[in-house]
Amino acid sequence: MVKFLKPNKAVIVLQGRYAGRKAVIVKSFDEGTRDRPYGHCLVAGIKKYPSKVIRKDSAKKTAKKSRVKCFVKLVNYQHLMPTRYTLDVDLKDAISVDALQTKDKKVAACKATKARLEERFKTGKNRWFFTKLRF
Amino acid sequence: MVAAKKTKKTHESINNRLALVMKSGKYTLGYKTVLKSLRNSKGKLIIIANNCPPLRKSEIEYYAMLCKVGVHHYNGNNVDLGTACGKYFRVCCLSIIEPGDSDIIKSMPGDH
Repeated sequence: MVKFLKPNKAVIVLQGRYAGRKAVIVKSFDEGTRDRPYGHCLVAGIKKYPSKVIRKDSAKKTAKKSRVKCFVKLVNYQHLMPTRYTLDVDLKDAISVDALQTKDKKVAACKATKARLEERFKTGKNRWFFTKLRF
Repeated sequence: MVAAKKTKKTHESINNRLALVMKSGKYTLGYKTVLKSLRNSKGKLIIIANNCPPLRKSEIEYYAMLCKVGVHHYNGNNVDLGTACGKYFRVCCLSIIEPGDSDIIKSMPGDH
């Protein structure tokens, strides 16, 4: 009886090209819109997870290994598995629905989320979110 | 011996309560609609049959945990649960949205 598909919830995408990837809900549309008459949400997720960094790595190598590739997508609720984790990263100003209209706006949104997620990864918090789901 | 008798009596009471919900309340039957009712937080109690596949059972329990909604593991398989709902088909899981006149929500979640 508690709504749990709220912004900042960590979810796992179940269908599509990004199946198995972890994502965070940025904005949720419970009632749907005219174009999408079903419950869906705007998620920002990880396309390519950062690799494992070891102590032996040089600074250049750690920088290269800590890169995160992101995606932004509108996903149906049915194609998400919610988790008990949250990721409070402020992505609302970087991503909006009209960012998905044109290619260059989408690229700009992805770049902004890439920067935010990479700095969150480097702090070492939310470690679960940045590890690949093994299946 | 005493425990067996007690479960038989509570089992009948669940069936009675479920029949009352079917008559007077709102409910949905089936896995897809159960998940939908949990996602839009309309479900108030989930009942799962005992021969539900374990992956599906744990998925419904996880959603219910996120929702803070009670889950009742029905003492019977999907055929029995369908019969208890008064339907002629099998029901593996069901979600009670409005209990109507029944007190199933108040009395069951202690059970689990």
